[in-house]
Amino acid sequence: MNAPLLMPLATLLQGQYDPIRDEIGRLQRNFQGLIWGFVAAWVILMLYTAMIVVRERKIRREMERLKNMVEDAEKKA
Amino acid sequence: MRQKVIIGMLALAAIIFVRNLYAISVLPDEVNQGQIFRIIFFHVPAAAAAMTGSAVALIASVLFLVKKDFFYDSLAVAVTEVGLAFLAVNLVTGSIWARVIWGVWWAWDPRLTSALICWILYAGYLILRQALEEPTQRATFAAVYSIFAFTDVPIVYFSIRWWRTIHPQPVFFSKNGSFPPDWGRALGVNMLAMFLFYAALTMIRLRQEQTQREIDYLRRTAHAI
Repeated sequence: MNAPLLMPLATLLQGQYDPIRDEIGRLQRNFQGLIWGFVAAWVILMLYTAMIVVRERKIRREMERLKNMVEDAEKKA
Repeated sequence: MRQKVIIGMLALAAIIFVRNLYAISVLPDEVNQGQIFRIIFFHVPAAAAAMTGSAVALIASVLFLVKKDFFYDSLAVAVTEVGLAFLAVNLVTGSIWARVIWGVWWAWDPRLTSALICWILYAGYLILRQALEEPTQRATFAAVYSIFAFTDVPIVYFSIRWWRTIHPQPVFFSKNGSFPPDWGRALGVNMLAMFLFYAALTMIRLRQEQTQREIDYLRRTAHAI
């Protein structure tokens, strides 16, 4: 038999259904889903925490500015 | 003092999360779902924290309407905003789980739909607050709206018992629950960490709301002078 001709045919037949490869693929997708889930949960919580930190800085700056403004206005008055 | 309590709570939550990651990783896989079932250790605590937050918002809103004390208004907005982030975690992790197990990102199932409506309702609460200028009017309208929004929370919780649904049936506080004790322990510990994190963020947001009120007062004083 001509081996170089038969090899691609065998590969093609194997590729049609390979239960082991299918199972590995399923487990891989399963694990990837878990990692994406954990990453998504932490990204949302960390983004929200970062938003709170940014707001905290903004509020502190605003507070300082207003306190100075009131003090200046009282001195002038 | 308050600052130290917040930092302590955040540190404790972080330690518990990191320590519990190992406990979760060594648990055996669930027979039908495989590894993806571990998403429950974030999905459920996030939902529990958000739902508890909405109950606190309800109580704070009622107390504001009764006592007209702005502390309760600040508490309601703080707890609602943090709850929205936690509910988003619940919805997104649930969607990722659904993609792996059901093959779709989303299904218009009673539990999923009511949870999404809940998120939209509470997002509406924050939008309503932005739309109103006058503080007393804003706090009163927001309190009434928050009480109305809470009506969806029991629907979310009981939806899987009341209607036929593809969402997994309850595994806790139920006769048919089949959660093994070591899984329950890992979930309980993560729940504690999630509640600590939620409480710390709420305390920070509460302080911010109170400072913002002070800023508004100073602004009025500066204009008066």
